[in-house]
Order: sequence, then C-alpha cells, then structure tokens
Amino acid sequence: MSEFERDPIIDKVRDTLRSAPHVAPDQRAVARVLSSVWESPPPSGWRRFFNTWRVPALSGLGAGALAVGALLIGFVTRGAVNPKQQPEPLAATGAPTGEFPVQTVAFDAEAALVQTQFVFEHGDAESISVVGDFNDWKGEAMPLTRMPNGLWTTTVPLPPGRHVYSYLIDGTLLVADPRAPKSGDADYGNEGSVVMVFAR
Amino acid sequence: MDDPVLGGLAWRGGEQREYPPKTSLMNDSRPTSSIDPTLPLRAKGGDRQAFAQLVDVMYARSLRFALHMVGNREDAEEAVQDTFIRVHRNLDRFRDDARFEPWLFRILANRCRTVLEKRKRHSVVIQYGDVPDRIGAVEEVERDWTEEVYKVLDTLPTEQREAFLLRHVEDLAYEDIAAITGVGLSALRMRVKRACDALRARLTEVMRDE
Repeated sequence: MSEFERDPIIDKVRDTLRSAPHVAPDQRAVARVLSSVWESPPPSGWRRFFNTWRVPALSGLGAGALAVGALLIGFVTRGAVNPKQQPEPLAATGAPTGEFPVQTVAFDAEAALVQTQFVFEHGDAESISVVGDFNDWKGEAMPLTRMPNGLWTTTVPLPPGRHVYSYLIDGTLLVADPRAPKSGDADYGNEGSVVMVFAR
Repeated sequence: MDDPVLGGLAWRGGEQREYPPKTSLMNDSRPTSSIDPTLPLRAKGGDRQAFAQLVDVMYARSLRFALHMVGNREDAEEAVQDTFIRVHRNLDRFRDDARFEPWLFRILANRCRTVLEKRKRHSVVIQYGDVPDRIGAVEEVERDWTEEVYKVLDTLPTEQREAFLLRHVEDLAYEDIAAITGVGLSALRMRVKRACDALRARLTEVMRDE
C-alpha cells in the first residue's frame, strides 16, 4: 500500500465501513435472491449466441446494412416456409425437464398461473419435495433446493385457489408446513397445509 | 445419512469444510477471499447447490458495497438481486481460470452505477448525511464518527467512492479494480488518492474531537 493510503484516519474509515453492523443478512434475504434467480428467465438463444461470439458493437452504418441484409433474406426466402406450420406446443405443466425446473414450466395465460414460493427449514434431509393436490402428490415433481443455511426453497406455478400440500422428506416422510394453516382434512392419510393463491 | 459434526466442521465427501459458511460481517469485518474456487465452476455446470452457496457467501459483502455506493437499503438490495440474476444468466461466459470476486463486483458496480444514473434522471434529491439506512445501533461517539464518514463518502464523486470502496473496504488489488471499472491503473490510483485526501481533510477534525 502506498504512502498516501497508510494513514490512521483512512484505517479507521476502512474499519468503520467494513463493520457496518446491519449488513449481516438474514437467511430470508438470501432465499429471496435465490428465488428471483430461479424465476428469472434464461437468456434467449440469440442472447446466448451473441454472448458466445461476442459480436462487437456495430456502427450505425453497420447495423443498417445488417438490417437491410436481413430484410433481403426475408424476401428471398418468403414462401419457402410453410406459414401454417405451427411450432410444437409447450407442455402446459408437468415435470421439469431442463436445468431450472421453474423456468421450464410453460406459462398458461388462460389458467393465469401464479408463481408461488415454498420455503421450508430443515437441516438434516437429503431431499425435500413439495407435494400436493396440484401435482397429484407426486414426490419427485417439485423438488426444493437446499441452501447452506438449512432453508429449502422452490417456486412453482399454481392456479389461483386453495391448495393442500405437504413436504416430502427423503422420499418417505410427509410433513405439514409448520408455518401454514392446517387443512383440517386428512389428504393422503396425513393432515396437510393450506396455501391460498390469488390471481394477480 | 446425516453428516457427523466434528468440532464444528462437517465432514463431507472426504474433505472438511466450515459449516455453516461465514455470512455475517459483524464478527469478521475483513473481506473474505475464501470462496471455494470450485463453486463457480460447479454452478456453471448447473449445480444449483453451488450457486446457492455462492450467494450465501457473497451476499453480505455485495450488500455492503451496494449500500455504501447507493446509500439506501431498498436500492442496494435491488442492485444485489439484479447482480446475482445476471451472474447466473451469464455463468456460461465465466472463464474457468477467472476469479469470481472481481467478476461479481464488476457486475455489481455496473448495477450500482445504473441505480445512481436512474436516480439522477428522476431528479431525486439526496440529502448528504441523511443516510440512516447504513448506521446501525452503535455507541454515540462511534455514531457521530460513522455519520461523518458517510457524509464525506456521499460527497465524493461516484468514481472516487467506487474506487475507494473496492480498494480499501473490499481489499481488491488495483489490477482487479481496473478490470472491474475498465479504468487504467494510474487513473485509479489518482481516484483513490483523491478520495483519501478528501476523507482525511474532512475527518481529521472529527477524530481530534473524539
């Protein structure tokens, strides 16, 4: 460190700024960040292409030439593609297939699915899933992700309404959410928890 | 099977790791460079657990830096959240031989600059010294000092504040800061020097009065 930086005042300023006491995060803040990350859509194919090839910034002239070229290609190939051909429909719901389960579930505009976060605290489990009437109580469909602080979390799209759910621990133990109201009726032999999902 | 706990260390797969990882800056205010270098690579390979661990380890430092840069908690939290979303989206661009911290801070510094620019465009008046978000429950004498530090910090031009925080609070090397900010080494040194001069000039009196 150079001379101008070696100074008791600067040292004290540094200590003050480093020990800002309120900066220590709560686990929920980290959970919120992770939830946003998992919900965030992945970059588009074009974005990945540009990221990969690092296309340099185009000048106005270059961008114009590229646009004209694209238009020409469009005119030339017009008619070559069957306009009636529809892309394969996305699965409306179902088991996650990609890297990030939440992102691969197609959004169903008619049903107006609402992204709903589940957070569960459990230090010892190997795996936890949320099971309920929305996934036919299937254990593997909606796994939670464990964070180092012991919180497990996932976000799943649910239709508005009342849903009964439980957490499936290590594929064998069904546990109600201690922070949610109880369903009052035994579903699948166990009392579940209730989540109310409201349309936005 | 549960991990046996051995004197505060959890035994996992033949290697010892501190568990839980340090996140609080209250107990250890020094920046930690103890990111397991395999974590970003595992996260890049799609390991969500590894990414969660990266967020857990880096959240507090990131929030502290953002808080000092933008001055209020709401904006700082938003900047940090955006940063981790961008980090995750761009993990495929992260070079295997690169270090994670400078990369993270580069994105975070950009987000903070964007917040500050946005604020400028919306003509929000920031009252210097009105920074209660950053001051916690500290002794009164310490509180006066801390308030003065924040006042001076807020009067620094953004680029000086950024350079000072990265160098002195986050303890990053000038080479890393150059990569983060895209500014040459000599210009960076000048920014840090000017920030130090301003802090020294304004705080000498306060320190003497204590």
